[in-house]
Amino acid sequence: MAIECLVLGAGQEVGKSCVVVTINGKRIMFDCGMHMGYKDKRQYPDFDLIPDSCDFTSSLSCIIITHFHLDHIGALPFFTQNRGYSGPIYMTYPTKALAPIMLEDYRKVMVDRRGEKERFSSEDIVECMKKVTAVDLKQTVQVDKDLQIRAYYAGHVLGAAMFYAKVGDAAILYTGDYNMTPDRHLGAAQIDRLQLDLVITESTYATTYRDSKYVREREFLKAVHKCVEDEGKVLIPTFALGRAQELCMLLDDYWERMNLKVPIYFSAGLTIQANLYYKVLINWTSQKVKDTYVTRNAFDFKNVCSFDRSLINAPGPYVLFATPGMIGGGFSLEVFRQWAPCEKNLVTLPGYCLAGTVGHKLMSAKRPTQIRLDEDVQIDVRCEIHQLSFSPHTDAKGIMDLVKFLSPKHVILVHGEKPKMAMLKERIESELAIQCYYPANNETVCISSTHHVEAGASDAFLQSCLCPNFKFSKPNSERDSDLDDSNKRTIVCDDRVAQGILTLEKNQNPKVVGQNEFMEVLGVENHGVKFAHCCPIYLPDSESRDASGRSPSALLRLIFEQLSRAFPGFDLHDCQEQIRIRSFVGSFCSKEKCLHRTDVSLHSRVTHLCCSWSLADEELAWKVLSIIKNLELANAS
Amino acid sequence: MEHRLLSNVGHTLNQNPNISSKSADAIVALITNPFTSDSNLTSLLETLILHLQNPNSNHHKLLSSLSALSRHHPRLRHRIAAAAHAFILLPSTPTPSLPHALSLLDPDHSAPLDPFSDESLFLSLCFGQCVKTRGWTLRNVSKFRVRPSVLLTVLLGFTKDPYPYIRELALDGLVMLSNGIVVEDRSLVEGCYFRAVELLFDAENSVRRSAVRALASAPSPFTIEELSSCKIPWLVSEWGQLLVALNSDKTKRYWSDALFVQLCLMVRDTDMEIRAAAFNALGKIQTVSEDILLQTLSRKALLATKEKHYPGQCTAKLFKLPATTAAFTFGHGLEDEFYQVRRPACQALQTLTVLSAQFAGGAVHLLMDMLNDDSVVVRLQALETLHHMAMHDHLKVDESHLHMFFGALIDNNALIRSAARKTIQLTKLQELKMLRSCTDGLIKNLKLYPQDEADIFYVLYQIGQRHGKFVTSIIHNVSQELEPSFDGKLVFNNARTAALLVLAISVPVSFERMICSIPPEIFSYAVTLLGRLSRALVDVMDQNVLLAYLSHCSRFTVASNSEKFEGEVLNFHLELKKVAISSLHDYPLNANVKASNCLEIVLRKVVDLWPLIQLGCTNEVVQTSRNWKEELRNFSCESRQPAGLLFFALTYLHVIKLLGKAWACTQRNPQFEGMGFLDALLSKMERRLKEMLYRFAGLSREGKLHILELMLVTYTMSLSYRGTCYFEDNTKKLNFVLSRVEYLQKEGSVELSNFVIELQNISRENGNSGDGFIHKLDLLQKSLHLFSLKYIPLSGELKYLNAELDVCDNDFQNPFPFISGLPVGLPLEITLYNISSESRLWLAISLGEKSTQFVFLDLHEFGGCDAIRKFTFVAPFFRTPKVKHFLLKVSVAMECLSEDQHFKHCHGPKHELIHLCKGKEVHLSMAVK
Repeated sequence: MAIECLVLGAGQEVGKSCVVVTINGKRIMFDCGMHMGYKDKRQYPDFDLIPDSCDFTSSLSCIIITHFHLDHIGALPFFTQNRGYSGPIYMTYPTKALAPIMLEDYRKVMVDRRGEKERFSSEDIVECMKKVTAVDLKQTVQVDKDLQIRAYYAGHVLGAAMFYAKVGDAAILYTGDYNMTPDRHLGAAQIDRLQLDLVITESTYATTYRDSKYVREREFLKAVHKCVEDEGKVLIPTFALGRAQELCMLLDDYWERMNLKVPIYFSAGLTIQANLYYKVLINWTSQKVKDTYVTRNAFDFKNVCSFDRSLINAPGPYVLFATPGMIGGGFSLEVFRQWAPCEKNLVTLPGYCLAGTVGHKLMSAKRPTQIRLDEDVQIDVRCEIHQLSFSPHTDAKGIMDLVKFLSPKHVILVHGEKPKMAMLKERIESELAIQCYYPANNETVCISSTHHVEAGASDAFLQSCLCPNFKFSKPNSERDSDLDDSNKRTIVCDDRVAQGILTLEKNQNPKVVGQNEFMEVLGVENHGVKFAHCCPIYLPDSESRDASGRSPSALLRLIFEQLSRAFPGFDLHDCQEQIRIRSFVGSFCSKEKCLHRTDVSLHSRVTHLCCSWSLADEELAWKVLSIIKNLELANAS
Repeated sequence: MEHRLLSNVGHTLNQNPNISSKSADAIVALITNPFTSDSNLTSLLETLILHLQNPNSNHHKLLSSLSALSRHHPRLRHRIAAAAHAFILLPSTPTPSLPHALSLLDPDHSAPLDPFSDESLFLSLCFGQCVKTRGWTLRNVSKFRVRPSVLLTVLLGFTKDPYPYIRELALDGLVMLSNGIVVEDRSLVEGCYFRAVELLFDAENSVRRSAVRALASAPSPFTIEELSSCKIPWLVSEWGQLLVALNSDKTKRYWSDALFVQLCLMVRDTDMEIRAAAFNALGKIQTVSEDILLQTLSRKALLATKEKHYPGQCTAKLFKLPATTAAFTFGHGLEDEFYQVRRPACQALQTLTVLSAQFAGGAVHLLMDMLNDDSVVVRLQALETLHHMAMHDHLKVDESHLHMFFGALIDNNALIRSAARKTIQLTKLQELKMLRSCTDGLIKNLKLYPQDEADIFYVLYQIGQRHGKFVTSIIHNVSQELEPSFDGKLVFNNARTAALLVLAISVPVSFERMICSIPPEIFSYAVTLLGRLSRALVDVMDQNVLLAYLSHCSRFTVASNSEKFEGEVLNFHLELKKVAISSLHDYPLNANVKASNCLEIVLRKVVDLWPLIQLGCTNEVVQTSRNWKEELRNFSCESRQPAGLLFFALTYLHVIKLLGKAWACTQRNPQFEGMGFLDALLSKMERRLKEMLYRFAGLSREGKLHILELMLVTYTMSLSYRGTCYFEDNTKKLNFVLSRVEYLQKEGSVELSNFVIELQNISRENGNSGDGFIHKLDLLQKSLHLFSLKYIPLSGELKYLNAELDVCDNDFQNPFPFISGLPVGLPLEITLYNISSESRLWLAISLGEKSTQFVFLDLHEFGGCDAIRKFTFVAPFFRTPKVKHFLLKVSVAMECLSEDQHFKHCHGPKHELIHLCKGKEVHLSMAVK
């Protein structure tokens, strides 16, 4: 069996995230986003590439949406309402709550304001959301008999989650967008150490190393403070959700501490509405918000009030939050057009702006500059520009840390820029020795997965599993080098976990048996190599008369005494007619022609001690034999 | 009712060994009812015990009943414990019931066959099929008294158990074990260490947590240095540390680095407790290479660490640990979502910044940002760490930090403000601009929180003292503000003015000696704040001193040239410097300043006393030396300072005090003032100096010379001011000391002071005539003016020769019996410190003032080493007087073989004695028949 990973969007680019993964026959679509940079058919993922595209409902086991950003959810109403998917859709509770707001807002901007062709209507959004099943963090959802999914906290935005999916023994993790360092209002991604075949991770900042966020915060606050002190106005274009709350919380705290009275405004009802959700969904926010929640809801900003359009050109300093974030249009562009020519004002830009937006132009330009909006409109930009890379995405170190922590067998990179992804792939492969891929859109990656075989276990094996049975091994420590001698240390192993034999018989289920049973199952006998030697003992002539009187048992005792002196550490057994040391057994040979006799005995006074031993005790046995042979000399003297 | 229940229980139990729920309820009812009679309880107990011995009964229920009984009726505990003990020893007892029975045993009561020291029982509990039993055994592993080797093996084995909680318990057991046993087998320690490292990659959070703990957890009682020089057994705590300690010095650093990097890996775990544990562990590591420390501040791999690898594990598959794993460890820790992690991260920095100044320089940036943290605990810890860095002189404040740093002064929380002030007080500000914003910060603090006034004034005073030059220029800029307003009113209630005044008056005590540049009227303005100032500076000086100081400084312009005045300024100067030292000690966070440093400071400062002595400011000298003495004592209590140096310094200060007094005496024409006073002073001085010479082993030549010179001063003073009495004696002594000086001179190059050279000349002129000096008294007196006090250099360790004497069971009410005329034995317990067996020790037993009997102590007879020797000695006292009671004073004295003065005791010492302890009183009383 294999895992097939078809990248429909966000392959070697940022935008319209959509990955279809087939695990052991189950097909899951992760995210269903739209590309904000295109207005043609490239805006949506090419759903026709999904196998059996005539009937998506039967082709896909489920759709999983990681968070409410449009590049992760934008195509969902289209897919369900226009392309006819009616299977299960999973997302977290906050995503389910906020997604319709985002979609509706987008639809309004695109259709009502810009007069673009409508891809889906308000009703479509409502209908689509009806199909959604909301899941909680770490809640295991059994999609069908074989498929399990589970959400983990991802940071990034409110309700963002990483999704774990498991079919049989093959398991993957789709991270969506995530953040490994906590914000003020959201925590850091959190996950268990899982056994994974594949991790599909975002790689927005595949090569970027970000400084401590504290430095950015400090600089941002300094810039804003300086501007309002000099009677300027501050425009903070943001997405309605997430960044707005983050910056607002930061400013509110700072205002409090510095005792500033300058007003902070929220422009749109949307943001205020979103704030309500934040207030309710405390469980999805950062530890700090949770900690202070008992005394004060951190989203009840003390210094923030809602904005009225008439205030745009009001005198005096203030701070304004306006959407959209990259000044691509909407209210933030409107305000920007009016404020940009004044030197006292300040515009803070987010760290990442899509190509084509005003934000992107501002980022690359030097001030003062002129920006052409369209053929007729041109803006003189004289205001201060502060670039603020508060990004809720993790950086290269964060990606490496997560991959290192999870140590999956394979990694697929999505949601990033191609050259950077290539560099990250190199790092993952060289530093962590994990296979890594970064397919382009509409490409498929196939990887092998863990195969799952059901096997029975014998009672004896189960029994042996219950009792501890550990061993220590300590390889020879003759070579004594100080460093890098990993083979010198004591190593523990427990047979319970390690040892069992998988048997496959014809027409029967595979079964695991214990070592002892194995022979029985096979119906064979245990064979072992044994050595034998018939050792002559010469009895001295002078004592010939006495020797006849010396019974074999007396001789045996004599030998026994000698041996117990020579091997004080061993357990010697003197069983009347035999001598035993470990596997060595010696007894008097009465046969005339013993097979193991090598000497041609001419001596009349000789008895033979027939000895046998196993391979393991070979060295010992030869020592014993040499003692027995020397015994004769001792007697003679 | 009771009876019926009891008989029912007995009946049903007899019929059916499995206790039914009904009879179980009845038993519980009987046990918990406080009115159940004793006899009934006893019979219930006996019934239960009887059934316990039956192999067919339900032991679980019986044991539960018994434990309930034992809980409710402690007096039956003994009987129950005995029954449980018997039950354990029964061969038929099933293993799963053993833990329950074992928990019933009375730990205080030791039975002849203690099941907890039974190894086979322990092993059978461990190796049984029942996981629960195994878990119980491992949890209670500390109760078992089994051979450590067995314990270690078993625990190490169970780290492979398939059950996570067994693995966790086994690791915890290993942590416990590493605290208390001796392990010298390196491969075994390595085995444990790498097993723990392996479990860092366990899927179970709790196991990983335990593994971090096992790598490095409990605080180790010894430092690595102590261990490597080690006569102390391997009592370190954690396996990683154990492994570090087991290595030779060369590889120690290597293993310590390996452990550090391995722990760094864990700070990126997604479990909060593991991260916190990792930082706690990191803070306990004693040595780390600088490049690794620097790596912990940088996100990117540094060149120095790029190629380095350590033994350890990077992921579950990769068994080589690159040093770059440590990248940004502290950045992550300080950015953590949980204050439970941020705090230990700050704390870990505290110990690690001591290791490297460069690392500390980088860490400052991170720590300053932590002052913006929303958790008070974290802010406080960050300040504490900054303070710690300042104390180790590793705090370099940058201009970009000031905003945050001084922002802490206006924090809502009083603790934070106070911690911030403490840190600021120790910070050296590089630029005038920084000092200005620091002052502004403090003034803002004062305005917002007037309750902090005393502390703020104190800090301003301290800062002013450190930055005299800057303050002068600030004051010059703002002196307008400090002037009285037009209507002639002084508005010093204004916080800003008051603060600036405090700053201004601190300048004269600054070490930069810019005394005259502050306009003197400012000092007189400051007098109006006297009450508030003296409250703030209570640790520095009292109100009178402050007033005197202010009025002195305000007179500056008037009397700048008078010689007398210079002395007085100097006097104040010293007074205040003394306090500068004393203030160090008031500092709660400051315990780590090394006492030896303080000692050295004091010894250096002593030189400054000389001009005061010359001026005859006896009181100042006495007070200062007293303060210093106290200071030294305080410091040495806190740090385990070698006692020798301390006692030496204390004695030295005493001598200086005496010198000051004696000098003042001589200035005031002692002939008329009564000679007795000077006599006493000089002989005290002589005694003390001799003590310094003989009771400290390890004095350098310079040190000796210094003492001898002081002796010469003593004798010269004695000769020139005491007239003719003891003249011959003193001349002899003077000559003797001079000859010793000469001897020292011959031994090696020593530089003699003018004073000594002059004395040598005088002596040479005299030749050997015994009374030659009598004609040279004026020369001698003049030579004294050549003397000046110098710094006494102390090198290395001084050993203080000391004795302790104890008389057992003897006091006024418990006298020893004696029969008059017959000798009596005095049982003494003697402890000697640092006395070599070659020295001649005597017991001096004196009866009254006059009669002293000496008993020789032959040290060869008593065991022990030179460092410490403890023994009991029965000292005979022969001449018991004919009285009913009498009192003896016993002390231990050492003969100074180099002192040539002969004593006339026939069986006593031949040379002068130095007493090594105070005289101990022994009471004797006539035996009653």
